[in-house]
Amino acid sequence: MPVWQHIYAEINDPNFVLISAAQDTGGEAVAGPIFDATNPTYVQVVDEDHVISSAFNFVNVPSAAWIDEEGRIVRIDESTYATTHQFGEGDAAFVFGNDIYAPALQDWVKNGASSKYVQSADKVTDNIRQFTVDQLRADAAFRLANFFRAHGQVGKVEQYWKLAQSLNPDSVNFIRQDMTLTTEGSGGESFFKLVGEFANRGKEMSRPLDLSS
Amino acid sequence: MTEAFAAYPDLRHPFEERPIHDAGQTTVLYQGNTITLAETATGDGLLIRPTDLTQINGFELKPEGACFDAMCIPLNDQLLVKRDGQEWFDLTAFAELLEQPYVADVDYRVWSFAEIPGKRSNMLADGLAPDFEVTDRNGNVVCLADLEGKKALIVTWSSW
Repeated sequence: MPVWQHIYAEINDPNFVLISAAQDTGGEAVAGPIFDATNPTYVQVVDEDHVISSAFNFVNVPSAAWIDEEGRIVRIDESTYATTHQFGEGDAAFVFGNDIYAPALQDWVKNGASSKYVQSADKVTDNIRQFTVDQLRADAAFRLANFFRAHGQVGKVEQYWKLAQSLNPDSVNFIRQDMTLTTEGSGGESFFKLVGEFANRGKEMSRPLDLSS
Repeated sequence: MTEAFAAYPDLRHPFEERPIHDAGQTTVLYQGNTITLAETATGDGLLIRPTDLTQINGFELKPEGACFDAMCIPLNDQLLVKRDGQEWFDLTAFAELLEQPYVADVDYRVWSFAEIPGKRSNMLADGLAPDFEVTDRNGNVVCLADLEGKKALIVTWSSW
């Protein structure tokens, strides 16, 4: 989320780049105002085709990778929040996120390879999701759907979004993204059904943050 | 949360129907790029003019084969084919050789190609960041090479 701005400002290091990529087929119309609300100075991308998620094989948001000066990944693919968020109040409050990831990031930017939050090469490669043929095909289907959407070919959009979802059922991105464009939205009954389905399959919707390793 | 958290039904299909491309043309999607080809031939797959290969996926035709960086795929008569006196490059046969999945809507002549798995092998084996290319909100193209010599956090989020 764009709440990264104050952390980016605090780090204030010309040799640190923060790229925030909104995975939003709603495009600038939905992601732009959220970006603008925090006057960000980092690199902002509205990634309608989920190119970044595809490149790093992320299946949910927020996810992230830390890349060092040599282009090596030193942390990847974990639930990535800049702070703790809360919707609602009292018993109805829904709280998510944390306040421990941002300090870890700051520690890495300051201390580089000696930061305790840098993972071993083996841990990183373990945490990189392998690409299956169907997952790659799902990416192609998702982009085809988005292309047809931009051309107003409604039937084709649904056909290829569904194909993407069926080819990569682990992609929460593809499923929830589709939900956003309905009246129910991405946090309604269908979403909680989805949560149950993942639990029944023994799947995590995203890798929990574990700063101890 | 409210029942309609992150609901944008008005954005589901906001676009007016418009032609995909001119009659007879073919569109290829690859890595966020949209390439419209004036001349193609189809049979079992998609045949393109050999001169169009580079603009699609960056591979260049050289004497030693179709090459991208250190990767060279030797050409053979499955890849370079002649039809009606014209030479064509079989893009789908090439994709199959590279184990690159694709999804085609033949009726609309749109072919969407996934990433070439070989381009991801450095990440999977050695933990090197994958090459990527996106355009930021200021219209600047941002790619992995821009990060050289710097630390980077690449983080995804969504309005949903």
